[in-house]
Amino acid sequence: MRWILLFTLFVTSAGFADETCMSPYMAKIQGQEDFVYVWTLGVDGVGDEQDKLVTVDVNPKSPNYGKVVSSLSVGGRNEAHHTGLSDDRRYLWASSLDTSKIFIFDIHSDPAKPTLHKEIADFVAVTGGVVGPHTSYALPGRMMITGLSNNRDHGGRTALVEYTNAGDYIVTHWMPTDDNLQGAVKSGEFADGFGYDVRALPRKNIMVTSSFTGWNNYMMNLGALMSDPEAMKAFGNTAVVWDLHARQPKKILDVPGAPLELRCAWGENHDYCFTTTALTSKIWLIFEDDKGEWQAEAVGDIGDATKIPLPVDISIFADDSLLWVNTWNDGMTRLYDISDPHQAKQIYSKKIGEQVNMVSQSWDGKRVYYTSSLLANWDKQAPAGPDLQYLKVYDFDGSELQEKLSIDFLAAKLGAPHQMRFGAYALYGDKTASR
Amino acid sequence: MISVRHWVGLYVALFPLFAASAVEAVLAPGYGPLQYTPPTAGSYALPPLGVAADGQVINDAGKPLQLNELLGDKLVLLGFIYTRCSDINGCPLASYVMKKVQAGVAKDDALNRQVRLISLSFDPESDTPDALRDYAMHFRRRGSDWQFLTTASEATLQPILEGYGQVRQKNFDENGEYTGSMSHILRVFLVDRQGRIRNIYSTGFLHADTVINDLRTLQIEADAGSVSGEKAK
Repeated sequence: MRWILLFTLFVTSAGFADETCMSPYMAKIQGQEDFVYVWTLGVDGVGDEQDKLVTVDVNPKSPNYGKVVSSLSVGGRNEAHHTGLSDDRRYLWASSLDTSKIFIFDIHSDPAKPTLHKEIADFVAVTGGVVGPHTSYALPGRMMITGLSNNRDHGGRTALVEYTNAGDYIVTHWMPTDDNLQGAVKSGEFADGFGYDVRALPRKNIMVTSSFTGWNNYMMNLGALMSDPEAMKAFGNTAVVWDLHARQPKKILDVPGAPLELRCAWGENHDYCFTTTALTSKIWLIFEDDKGEWQAEAVGDIGDATKIPLPVDISIFADDSLLWVNTWNDGMTRLYDISDPHQAKQIYSKKIGEQVNMVSQSWDGKRVYYTSSLLANWDKQAPAGPDLQYLKVYDFDGSELQEKLSIDFLAAKLGAPHQMRFGAYALYGDKTASR
Repeated sequence: MISVRHWVGLYVALFPLFAASAVEAVLAPGYGPLQYTPPTAGSYALPPLGVAADGQVINDAGKPLQLNELLGDKLVLLGFIYTRCSDINGCPLASYVMKKVQAGVAKDDALNRQVRLISLSFDPESDTPDALRDYAMHFRRRGSDWQFLTTASEATLQPILEGYGQVRQKNFDENGEYTGSMSHILRVFLVDRQGRIRNIYSTGFLHADTVINDLRTLQIEADAGSVSGEKAK
């Protein structure tokens, strides 16, 4: 029996990431997901060496459980990175940081076998020079896409870009900078204009963006980058709070050390979002204070910052009580108690692999999915084996992770797995698929 | 602050037709007071999102029309509904908010007689012109320009749904029998006098105050003769 949370049917406002990162109004897979779609980087010497969308059957009741049921290559390598579902959950937008191509996959016609619906190849030209589409965040009838860079200096100054669900360009919103604050209040030291992730709290009319680094850095070999002091200065130190409806930046907050993934709380009165900083290894809370002002506050440490654990993806629980935090460099997943959002406390950790990047959890928090790849030129190349480039699925009983499924993406000749999205037959009313 | 319970009560009082699912649902923001001060009308852009699709429709008097006949002379708020919809945050929300917009527009000198509301059914089988006329009695004020439309068949409906990206699927029971209910995305479209879609609202975003603000923004744009939507480009 499969359960889909349809208390508002398919009515939506925004949808993103794993099930606990969806809008309260988006159809969610409350029970067992059927598939996980893994946007996978092509790797030199591995299979067809192309970026591809890999579909894995993850329903334990399926005869194909644990199998790769589809692998759709897109031609060449583009630095495959993040993906996002459209608000109707019929299409998966998969972006590429190097070529700036966006691939839109149809995942509703046959959820087991996605097809390429449309390819956007002129992103840089039509957006006025935005490079490196990253997050695809669903808003009603459209996609909000964050950039990471620009075509003038390939640094970190970038923009938000809107497309219709049909894949037509709408508008570009450049991030506020010191030389053009666009009416925003610069509340601290920085107004760098960098971008990375985006999330919204529609009931508060708030949109939040974070900041990473530009093409020059994310396409550089990690060792070379780390030994280049000037390059290491070119990371974002800000989060920006926007007027969601007007798409106007309101306040620039200092969040030093490259704040990456943003996850907003679910509770009706939980007016806050979390992010983690890659370089300073902290959990930050972006919240509305008692006076209605949006603030940023460091609320927890992640490992030993001097060892550069490199926090990457995070995943918030549906009840806002816990937060998974992955640290890529040591391959650890860490669980934080965030019941007091101002004091995040680590309560559990487990080594997942030689490196770990993305984490997605089911709506009930009982299944947790991990993939390994960060960036093609940053990923570890050794030691070879099943813990280097993988998809792993765990059951979580509230205290321990138990591994249930693991696919070695190199051995399977697929590549380096990055972001995951869940799919289910029941989202599209397919009765025949009910098991 | 008015409580959620109050709004449930208000909703049930206003729309007994849809009361069945009201108590347990998480109410959409559109049922309550706006939790923020909206941006000032005219201070922001509403970039065009494409051309509003045409199609063959029938009004609640049974008169066949092209949808385009109702687009272009006024600002239009167009929402897809079906009258048997029991999801409190679906079609009932759309009709509730549009009713509030109707009232707000009537009190706004700049918008009065400048706005048309359209509720277009995606259930031609059940939503006959007579059924829509009965439904409209719960919402439409005398003299208000609120059109309740249906289509002659699924065949004429489908191109319209595709044109607006309106997803709708019929729900079937264990025996494969159609239950009469449909899963759908709630979408309400704001269309300007050039027939261009200027905003799309779904459940988390649909609120009368923001819709009226957007209508005022388009009216200010029209009064100024400016080409909106280009500001941020």
